[in-house]
Amino acid sequence: MGQILNALRSIALPALAAAALGTAVQGRAADEAAAPTRSAGRHDFSIQIDTAWNVPSSPFSAWVEGGLGKLRYDESDRGLNAARIFVDYRARLKPGLTARIVADHVGDGGADADGVDVGEAYLEWRPVPTSANRHRLRTGAFYPPLSLENGGPGWSSPFGVSFSAINTWLGEEIRPIGVEWSMRRRTRLGSPQEIGVFAAGFYGNDPAGTLLFWRGWSLHDRQTRLHDRLPMPPLPLWSDGAIVGHEEQWLEPFDEIDGKPGGYAGVEWRYGRRALVQLSRYDNRADPYAFSGGQWGWHTRFNHLSAQLALPRGFGLIAQWLDGSTDWLTATTPDGRHTPFTEHVEDTLEAKYVMLTRLVRDAHRVSLRYDGFEVRRDEAPPQLVADSGRAWTLAYRYERPALFDVTVEWQQIGSRRDLWPFLYGAQPRARERILSVGVVLRLDSSRLR
Amino acid sequence: MLLGALPALACADIAVTVLDADGAPVGDVAVYAVPRTTAATGSAGPAAAVMDQADSAFVPHLLVVEAGTYIEFPNNDTVSHHVYSFSDAKRFELPLYKGNLHPPLRFDTPGVVVLGCNIHDGMLGYILVVDTPWFTVTNAAGEARLPALPDGDYAVHVWTPRARAGDLPRPRQTNVSDGSARELRFRFEGKLMPAHEDRHGRSTLTWDRY
Repeated sequence: MGQILNALRSIALPALAAAALGTAVQGRAADEAAAPTRSAGRHDFSIQIDTAWNVPSSPFSAWVEGGLGKLRYDESDRGLNAARIFVDYRARLKPGLTARIVADHVGDGGADADGVDVGEAYLEWRPVPTSANRHRLRTGAFYPPLSLENGGPGWSSPFGVSFSAINTWLGEEIRPIGVEWSMRRRTRLGSPQEIGVFAAGFYGNDPAGTLLFWRGWSLHDRQTRLHDRLPMPPLPLWSDGAIVGHEEQWLEPFDEIDGKPGGYAGVEWRYGRRALVQLSRYDNRADPYAFSGGQWGWHTRFNHLSAQLALPRGFGLIAQWLDGSTDWLTATTPDGRHTPFTEHVEDTLEAKYVMLTRLVRDAHRVSLRYDGFEVRRDEAPPQLVADSGRAWTLAYRYERPALFDVTVEWQQIGSRRDLWPFLYGAQPRARERILSVGVVLRLDSSRLR
Repeated sequence: MLLGALPALACADIAVTVLDADGAPVGDVAVYAVPRTTAATGSAGPAAAVMDQADSAFVPHLLVVEAGTYIEFPNNDTVSHHVYSFSDAKRFELPLYKGNLHPPLRFDTPGVVVLGCNIHDGMLGYILVVDTPWFTVTNAAGEARLPALPDGDYAVHVWTPRARAGDLPRPRQTNVSDGSARELRFRFEGKLMPAHEDRHGRSTLTWDRY
């Protein structure tokens, strides 16, 4: 079942892409045949090139190179890095029916990530409302509608270079492949109040949670594409109750392992463009005893609460809080066998952030974000802290919409990982810092007409 | 000389001021006078009207027209829109377009037509279709003038989407005669809902994901 779904993922997405591009060419021919003032405007795209000059400082090597660091870059990467090149393309196939594809080239070596791959690809249907209820149906591979930080093209952040710990993780390990229904409506005619609900069933995402335990939370801007194989810190090899060595391991976070669908659902309240509150529940329903294609299932589920508030004088406040847990088997082997030390454990996952941002004269933005995060095991005393820390991020961005932006970001992450001395002989406490100057060049279809 | 003496041409203005519960002026409120006597007619017939789309907003936010008017919906944005309404007074959709793709639509039934865009959730606009040629909208000072109404009895109404249905002031009966202008003052009793905020310029926060 898992293999079939994974094969479907490989075949269906390029097919969807080809269908959308085919319609795009057709649509353009139709557009050109019509008079210029009578356009149906079927295509919207945003092409973006992200580069950054980075000065990282960390005792660890970067996680994307199989290291223990929380940063995307380590000291060997000091200098100019091509972070990402992508196109976010929407084809309006029919009134109400849209295909969207985000195709990404990511510059990191080591993450087995060379070439172009798809980050999101789905069909969206919005029937024309026949009442105040506005329905939307999506099918394909997409982000759950949780982040209040990643509202830009290609799930980029308009606030700074790195994402919060929560959204970094969603970008790394969460990409439902399934069907989502959502509905929004005004509470009454003329009211700025709106309520919304959403629910989804999906396959894939069964190993999600693996990185949070083995590496810990991280803060960066690297999103996993659908076929990416991510590196992990080397797994310990066990014998006679002791670690006798390490074995290389990799992660395919979006694999389907047990053939069992997961789901998420949430509710939302809005007051015009002033306030938004959302509450949701996510559960991948993975079987922690299931193993397939080199990946174990991790039963990861969480509650998520988010809110944003527009304040006077161009200020805005955003907060997200994630509280969940993951069930998994310890001390297994990467080829799917149990060892005498294998145990079914449950770890708590928790992260939150608060961000204050201010936009001045539509061009200058300053954002300050505080992140707190933890992975811990409560059951057997003493409590085991797999990862606990906090981060401060300060960013200034100069922005010319649909053309370019320049961001200067400073970030400091302090963390404690009690398992590090035991598993890797590394120090438990670490302070990681990075200064980034990010330059984004953008070509937007709305500028071409 | 002789023409000026004809009683049928006697006419006068109705000046209206609209205030909220705190006495502050309310702009963008529809004001219209419905004649109560058949004598007070004389419309040249409904004209054409335009509901524009610019910067992902309907312009104007509130358009008042006489029943029978043809309304054009040009899209002067750089992005496509898909305009629709599910209101009983006029159900329609103008699928996916830019420029002047669709011919004007005729609005025959008096009532409120709520406009939306099936692509951009934040877009909201209103058309108020009235059964009279005498209508206007208040300015920022809460003032409006219905010019040159023929002599007769009228019911003067006000309407805004910001008032809950029960909070709208009752229509006021008035008589226009002897060429003397009438002044009317309306006051909303309940608290008005905030005006719809269109997406002008850039937003500090992201309300609609890309």
